Amino acid sequence: MPKISRLFIKTGLLYFILSLLLRVFIDFFTTFPLSVLIPLFWHALMLGWITQIIMGVSIWMFPGRPRNEGFKAQKLSWLTYLFLNTGLVLRVISSPFVELSDLKFWSILLSASALLQLTAVIFYVFEMWPRIQSKKQRIRNRKKKS
Amino acid sequence: MPVQSRWMIRFSLVYLTVGVSLGVVMLVHKAFPIHPAVWLLLPVHIQILIWGWIIQFTLGTAYWILPRFLKGASRGNEAFSWLVVIALNAGILLNLLSFILGIPLLGKAGLILQTISVALFVLSHWKRITSYNK
Repeated sequence: MPKISRLFIKTGLLYFILSLLLRVFIDFFTTFPLSVLIPLFWHALMLGWITQIIMGVSIWMFPGRPRNEGFKAQKLSWLTYLFLNTGLVLRVISSPFVELSDLKFWSILLSASALLQLTAVIFYVFEMWPRIQSKKQRIRNRKKKS
Repeated sequence: MPVQSRWMIRFSLVYLTVGVSLGVVMLVHKAFPIHPAVWLLLPVHIQILIWGWIIQFTLGTAYWILPRFLKGASRGNEAFSWLVVIALNAGILLNLLSFILGIPLLGKAGLILQTISVALFVLSHWKRITSYNK
């Protein structure tokens, strides 16, 4: 399994724990605005855990994976990881403050987090699209490479 | 990778991009209000990402990767697998139309199609969940 996939899957597992801890926190501290915390819980679970695991496993298992390790050989996968997780962290930080504070800084940070996550998805689609291949295409591409 | 999986995975990547784009619009609206109607996108966002992205990607990959039969059609009945693709995507589209046009009946029809699709998937894959190691 390539390093980038291991990173995706381990980060996904951390998000799984964090999202459940957040859910426990929500149940015990109901005075905190739920409109902020409930979407955070769902996004930590669906994007941080499930989507991140899907991305990590597909980058590893789909045909046409680059054999070399490192940022240069796996640029799109690394950019997906960096943009997705920076976006998620910025969202977790900024989301409560958008509701609680009047500072525009938090609104800008929240918007930036959304754009970072979308950019991550675009990088991922560009990485995976050419790797959706039939057996014939895979054999042809292998011959071309060798 | 069989053609049914290729279609499902490509569809799911398109749904992922569209669903996250709708999420961006809603998040930006939260920061800098655009129009109150933006929140109407929420059920569309959820439908697209759960059914269009996560479920479709998972089913498409499972069809490709689960152990194949040693005799006969290696991945089971081909017509069944096409029905899974068609019913799932028709179901998603009907649900989206239901949200957009405000016709709940379309949503119910969509849900029935999605249920049929999942039931067909389970039926046709049950025996593929196996091991050939003795």
